[in-house]
Amino acid sequence: MTAASSVAPNRTRSRLAAIREAAPHPTRWRHVVAYMISVYRREWQGSVFSGFIEPLVVLAGLGIGLGVLVGDKAAEITGGVSYVAYIAPALMASSAMNLATSEAAWPILARVAWVRIYHAMVATPLNAADVMVGAIAFIVGKVAFAAAFFAGVLLVTGIATSPTGALGMLGISVLTAFAFGAPMAAFSVTQKSDQGFAFLFRLIITPLGFFSGTYFPIENLPFAAQVLSWCTPLAHGVALSRSLALGTPVTYVWFHVGALLLWGIAGSIAAIYLFRKRMLK
Amino acid sequence: MGMTNSASEPTALIRAQGLTKVFGARSAVDGIDFEVRDGEFFGFLGPNGAGKTTTMRMIAGVSPRTSGTLEIFGQDPDLHGSEIRGQIGVVHQQETLDMELTVRENLLIFGRFFGMERAAIATRADELLELFQLSDRAKDQVEPLSGGMKRRLSIARSLIASPRILMLDEPTTGLDPQARHLLWDALQRLKRGGTTIVLTTHYMDEAEQLCDRLVVMDQAKIVAEGSPRQLIVEHASREVLELRFPNGTESIDVKVLEGIGDRYERLAERVIIGCENGEAAHARALEHGLDPESWLVRRSSLEDVFLRLTGRTLDE
Repeated sequence: MTAASSVAPNRTRSRLAAIREAAPHPTRWRHVVAYMISVYRREWQGSVFSGFIEPLVVLAGLGIGLGVLVGDKAAEITGGVSYVAYIAPALMASSAMNLATSEAAWPILARVAWVRIYHAMVATPLNAADVMVGAIAFIVGKVAFAAAFFAGVLLVTGIATSPTGALGMLGISVLTAFAFGAPMAAFSVTQKSDQGFAFLFRLIITPLGFFSGTYFPIENLPFAAQVLSWCTPLAHGVALSRSLALGTPVTYVWFHVGALLLWGIAGSIAAIYLFRKRMLK
Repeated sequence: MGMTNSASEPTALIRAQGLTKVFGARSAVDGIDFEVRDGEFFGFLGPNGAGKTTTMRMIAGVSPRTSGTLEIFGQDPDLHGSEIRGQIGVVHQQETLDMELTVRENLLIFGRFFGMERAAIATRADELLELFQLSDRAKDQVEPLSGGMKRRLSIARSLIASPRILMLDEPTTGLDPQARHLLWDALQRLKRGGTTIVLTTHYMDEAEQLCDRLVVMDQAKIVAEGSPRQLIVEHASREVLELRFPNGTESIDVKVLEGIGDRYERLAERVIIGCENGEAAHARALEHGLDPESWLVRRSSLEDVFLRLTGRTLDE
C-alpha cells in the first residue's frame, strides 16, 4: 500500500468517527429520560395541576361562560357545533404548547446554568446530543400523558366523537409538543438567566394561544396575520385537532403535519447544536 | 494513531504532546507535553487561570483541542470521546449534583448514564456510600448537606462505574481544614486501590501531600515537572529564611540580599532567602545590618519552587 492510499481512508474514518462522536446515539438518550422521570416522581403533584387540571378549568370557564355569551351566533363560526366542542380540541393543542414550552424553559435552563447537572452528564458516555434528545423526548412524553387525560375527558363528555378521533388528537398534541418543545429547548440552552422567558412567553406564546384559531377561526384575522399564524406551529395543531374531534374531513393533512414536524426537527437540530456549543468550549 | 497500542507504552494512560487550546486571541493552554502513568497520583499545580481546568476538560473529552496530540488509553478524545469518558470519573470544581434527587438517587441515576445494569448500580452505590461515609444520609436531599459532604458525594458519583482514571478539579477549594483532610484520606485510599488520579490545585500543600508526580503550570505553559521532592531539590534550596519588613523591602540593598544565602526573592513586605542553613543565614542578615520585624526558618516547599520559577506566589 502506498502512503497516499493509506492516508485517505484513514482521514475518512476519522471524519466518520468525529461525526459519530457528535451525533445522537440511537439509545443512550433513554438514560436522560429515565433521569427526568426520577426527578418528576418527586414533584409530580405540582405538574398535575398545570398539565392536567388547568386546561380543563380553562375549558369549563371559557367554553361554558363564553359559550353562553356567544349563544346562537356560535353556530355561524363553528359550523353548527356548540362553542365548547369547538374550542375543546383547540385548547388541547394549545395546552400541549403551554406545557411543552414551560417544560423546555426553566427545567432546561436550571440544568445548564444553575444546578449545572448537564455539565456532569456530558462528562459521562452521554454526549451533548444525547442529553438534548432525551430532554426533548421527556417533554413530549410528559405532554402525551397530560393530553391522554384531556382526550379521555373529551371522549367521556362526548365532545370527541370517536375513540379513533381522540387517539388522533393525542397524536397531534404530541406533535405540537415536539414543534414547541424543541425550539424552546434551543432557546433555553443559550440563556444565562430566565429574563428572556418572560419576553418570549408574553410576546409569542400567549398571543399564539389567541391567534391560532383556538377561540375563533383564523379566517377572521387580517390576511397578513393569517399568513403569520400559519407560519407558527399552533395553528396547524389546532386545525388538525379540531377536525379529528368533530369528525369533519381533515384537509391539507400533510401540510399541517409537515409544518409541525419541520418545527420539531429544526428545533431539535438547533437545540443540539447550541447546547453542544455551550457545553464543549 | 488510536488503532494500535503497540506504539505507545502500555503504562501511559494519558499522553499529550504540544497540546494547545486557544480561545479567540488568548491561549489557555500553550503547547504542553505530559504523560500520566497507570496507578499514579498526578497533579497540575498552578495559580488560577494557568490553564489547568482547560487541560482537564480536554482530557475529559468535553473541550476539543486546538492543536497538538492527545491520547487517553491510546485513543483520541475527539474521535472516541464517549468510549473514553466511560472510563473516566470527573469531579467538577463547582457542584453539579442534582438537588431534586436524594443522595442515593444521585448515584443510581449516574450509573445509568454509564450504561450499567440496575442491580450492579445499586450494589456499587451502597459500597460508595459506605466508603465515603454517607450511608446514613442516603435518603436525604442533597441541598442541606455540608460542603464537604457534597464534595464527597460528587466524588462517589464519579466513581460509580469504577473508572480507570479519576479527575478532580480543585477538589478542596472552599472546604474547611477538617473536611479537606477527610477528603485527602479518601483519595489516598482510592489510590492504594489502584485508581489513577489526576488533580488540579492551587494549594501547594495539597500537591505536596498527594501527588506522586506533578507539573507546575503558569500562564498556559508547563514550567516544571517531577515529584514534589525532585522539584524542591532541583528548584529550591534546602531551607528558607523569611524576613518580614512591614514598611516595605524596596530600600534594601541588592548586595546585602545576595550576601545572605544562595538566592533571594523580594516581595512587597517579605524577603525570602533560599539557603542551606536558615539559622546561619539569619545571623548573616543581622551582621549585614538588616532589622526585620520578624523572621522564620522552614524547609523549602513547592511554593518556593513556584516562586523561584515564576517570581510570583501561587495566590497572587
